[in-house]
Amino acid sequence: MTDPLLQVIHSPVIAIALTLAAFLCAVWLYRRSGWLVLQPVLVTMLIIIGGIRLLGLDYQAYREAVVPISWLLGPATVALAVPLYRNVRRIRQALWPVMLTLLVGGVAIVALTLLFARWLGADVPVLMTLATKSVTMPIAMPLAEQLGGIAALAAVLVMLTGVAGTAMLPPLLNLCGVQHPAARGMAYGMNAHAVGTARALEEGDECGAFAALAMGALGALTAVLLPLAFLLWHLLLD
Amino acid sequence: MIKGVLLLLVMQAGGALLQQLCLPMLPGPVIGLLLLLVLLLVLGRIPQCLEQASAVLFQYLPLLLAVPATGILLGGDVLLAQLPAISGGLLLSLLFCIPLCGWMMQRLIAAETDDD
Repeated sequence: MTDPLLQVIHSPVIAIALTLAAFLCAVWLYRRSGWLVLQPVLVTMLIIIGGIRLLGLDYQAYREAVVPISWLLGPATVALAVPLYRNVRRIRQALWPVMLTLLVGGVAIVALTLLFARWLGADVPVLMTLATKSVTMPIAMPLAEQLGGIAALAAVLVMLTGVAGTAMLPPLLNLCGVQHPAARGMAYGMNAHAVGTARALEEGDECGAFAALAMGALGALTAVLLPLAFLLWHLLLD
Repeated sequence: MIKGVLLLLVMQAGGALLQQLCLPMLPGPVIGLLLLLVLLLVLGRIPQCLEQASAVLFQYLPLLLAVPATGILLGGDVLLAQLPAISGGLLLSLLFCIPLCGWMMQRLIAAETDDD
């Protein structure tokens, strides 16, 4: 390969173009096939990884080049206040169901994950990391570190949970006859955080609002309660 | 549109400031979300510019999420070493918790409306 060509391939232009092209392909495939498993986040990610490998790009350099895109995630998170506000009356009416579902579901998510993973032979640092897997990434990474887990692994597990959860959510909810948009939204936000919320917004404003609420509230609850729970656990054991 | 984006950025900056000052466990954008929600509750309506900006951002949410998702390239070693336990734990818990959360919420809402 000639030098000028290599220079262009390693420039930010190609990184951003690769990302946008991957997204367009993923959306096209999603609409064309109608398969919920092929959700855009998963397919975009796979095409980008394929592109990085194929072009021999350095991953850190790629991430720096696409900061203009990934940076918008901040304002997009803030913007979730809009569907929340639009549904604030519905949320107020369902305050008790929301809080109960958050508590019971949140405990079940952490407990079952740890139980199954322990049973299948995961070691302690991995378990501490797994405990944070259902929380949105900026909360999960420092939390995992605080609990004695691995921050880099937390980011990976969070994304895996989001992507796998979003693929499993619609068929499972349909199978169990969960039709209410608020109930679907809660399940999306609690089990698949931001990726699930993006999918919930596709189903409608009410579903998206409850998903955003569930994601935010479960994140805050986990950040406060999980360290306390582990502290108690250690106190009881020692 | 630009006004709406500016409003989002101001709220995000406010969230980042509050995080630095007193709420280190919550990410800045999540605090910004709460600030914007409070502002909307005080205003009692959604400004047109904000409506436009949020609609555009939501349309491209999967694109914005796909970039951090590629971070999977970094955590590969530990992941591969304990892949059966990790993937088993993740998938089995999702299999139980998705129906649990959805079913419980639906039942509780139904019970609540029956009471009224």
